[in-house]
Amino acid sequence: MDRIIFGDNQFFGINHFSEEKAQAQSERFKDLNAIIRVIDTAYDCGIHAFMFNTHSRVAEICDHFRANPEKYADLRLYPSTPYAHKYANAVNEKGIIGALNDFMFKGRTAGQVLGTFVRGGKSIINRNMIEVMKILVDTEMKIFRGLNVRAVFLQNIVTDLLLGLGVKDVFVEFAAHITKNYGVEPAFNTMNMPYLVDFLLDCGVANPIVCASINKIGYLMNPSRQAYEEAIRTKPFRPMAMSILASGAVAPADAVQYVAEQKNISSIVFGASSKTHIQETKDLICRYQGIST
Amino acid sequence: MDIKEKTMLRGALVGLGRMGLTHLSILRNHPKVNFVAICDSSSFVLRNVGKYIGIEAFKDYRKMIDEVDLDFVIVATPVRLHIEVVKYAVQNNLHVFVEKPFCLDAAQGSEIVNMVNGKNLVNQVGYVLRFNDVFRDVKKLLQAKVIGDPLFFKMEMSGPTVLKNSESTWRSKRSEGGGCLRDFASHSIDLVNYLLGAPEQVVGTVLKKIYSKNVEDAVYSTFLYRNGLLGHVRVNWSDPSHRKPTYRVEILGRNGKMIADPHTCKLFLKNAPVDGEFTSGWNMRYITDLTKPVRFYVRGNEFTQQLDYFIDCIFNGSYGNMCSFADGLATDSIIEKLIKNSAERCGQYG
Repeated sequence: MDRIIFGDNQFFGINHFSEEKAQAQSERFKDLNAIIRVIDTAYDCGIHAFMFNTHSRVAEICDHFRANPEKYADLRLYPSTPYAHKYANAVNEKGIIGALNDFMFKGRTAGQVLGTFVRGGKSIINRNMIEVMKILVDTEMKIFRGLNVRAVFLQNIVTDLLLGLGVKDVFVEFAAHITKNYGVEPAFNTMNMPYLVDFLLDCGVANPIVCASINKIGYLMNPSRQAYEEAIRTKPFRPMAMSILASGAVAPADAVQYVAEQKNISSIVFGASSKTHIQETKDLICRYQGIST
Repeated sequence: MDIKEKTMLRGALVGLGRMGLTHLSILRNHPKVNFVAICDSSSFVLRNVGKYIGIEAFKDYRKMIDEVDLDFVIVATPVRLHIEVVKYAVQNNLHVFVEKPFCLDAAQGSEIVNMVNGKNLVNQVGYVLRFNDVFRDVKKLLQAKVIGDPLFFKMEMSGPTVLKNSESTWRSKRSEGGGCLRDFASHSIDLVNYLLGAPEQVVGTVLKKIYSKNVEDAVYSTFLYRNGLLGHVRVNWSDPSHRKPTYRVEILGRNGKMIADPHTCKLFLKNAPVDGEFTSGWNMRYITDLTKPVRFYVRGNEFTQQLDYFIDCIFNGSYGNMCSFADGLATDSIIEKLIKNSAERCGQYG
């Protein structure tokens, strides 16, 4: 597991704290080259691990990686899938079946559709949620073909929705599918870390990788910051911290110090847009976490 | 058994679409809720729910309500079915949470509001923005008259929901609750109603088609109030520049101004109150300062807050609760006024 991972929300105008910031980021990263420049800055700072959502623009970034294999020889990717936002509107409009049909079959050649039918035939006939999940994951993972993927995350909206529903089989099968088909570790994004950790351990997913907001002010730490601290201290899992700055509500040094005080945190995911911020945050993490630069 | 003696409530859900799944996920692990039944018309959904979630599944809500011992029901069906499901649940003395908008016909909605009056039943409509911590703060500041009497407001909402003509789905059918006004703008209208009250009159309403053939994609109107308050409502669900729906409300008062979205409230004060919380000029209020974690988070903490509030109301016996059927009806009535005004005066521009 990489100790420092660069996140991608800033590239796609995703900001859970400020619509104005999201807007400014959308404007700035309209051009793919602007995204690549920031990625290269992080890469040159020695951060070679990146977390990506399966946002449609990530496909273009991955094309760029594949076109420059030497430049990105040490690249390590942590995709998060499926990109739930893409499906949410369709589910609302067409219902679950209509949305699935759209995403599994639309815009694909007859051969591709046939291939999916063979694979998903079972899902169409048995109408099996697990098979549908696997097809969605496989469809989205095509974006990362040929690249060095180190773990595959189940995206937080999906994780938390299924966690609330208590659907153990999906978590077990997702974990098995990622290990078997991609030869890497399954991982989970969530807004409910303590609850998810207990649930995953209960499902038999050993020492799971769980990524969640972890910050000094307890923002997006449900049900409480104290519950997170206790889970991190006492449960057998690999916590990965994101939103450590709570988008500016916490000063960088305080943010990194707080995370460092929670022993056992395996990795930190952070996003930034300028060389100064990337370098500063990386240096802080290295200093507090005792990572040699 | 009297509700006060109960430690657990027995709940059911009708309609397992996007919102239904969200509500089920949030309430399934509520420490005081035992979710015992669900109802949906899709056999795919029912089969999977039965298999993976282990809740008794029904195709007919009447059968479910008749056969299962329940305290409350969550109604998240298509809007055209709200009335009949809610009515049946109320007739059977169940507490009801129904998704927004409340219903398609204010006269029928009014009948249900009358039915729940005096019935000791918690009745709530899912206008989730009322549970957003920034908008709650705005309400509090308005009540405290921090910006003085409101003179003017502007409510804007935009999103990329409809970017092509989709005639085949319910979204383009007015009879099924489609159209920007009921499906999308209802959030903004309810927020106006929550923060500033219902307008005395709506004027200059234009319901504008952009991509849709049968329904409006944008709503523009002016709200007039007896006390002199005037507001502009501008809602558009065919704006591709947004990644997801965005909301922004600006309120000008005699002593200042508030500009709020779900994450931030900017407060300008001409003269700061003496208690010291604010200073003259701009004051920033961020969601990170205003919000607290929730018991269990799915898609946004206001979704949990609204359902936990509903459950708490049942236990506490508080029946005239926030976002009641009467509030939902008030929003439906404003919607009817907007349709009427648009047809009377500006229909030809739509």
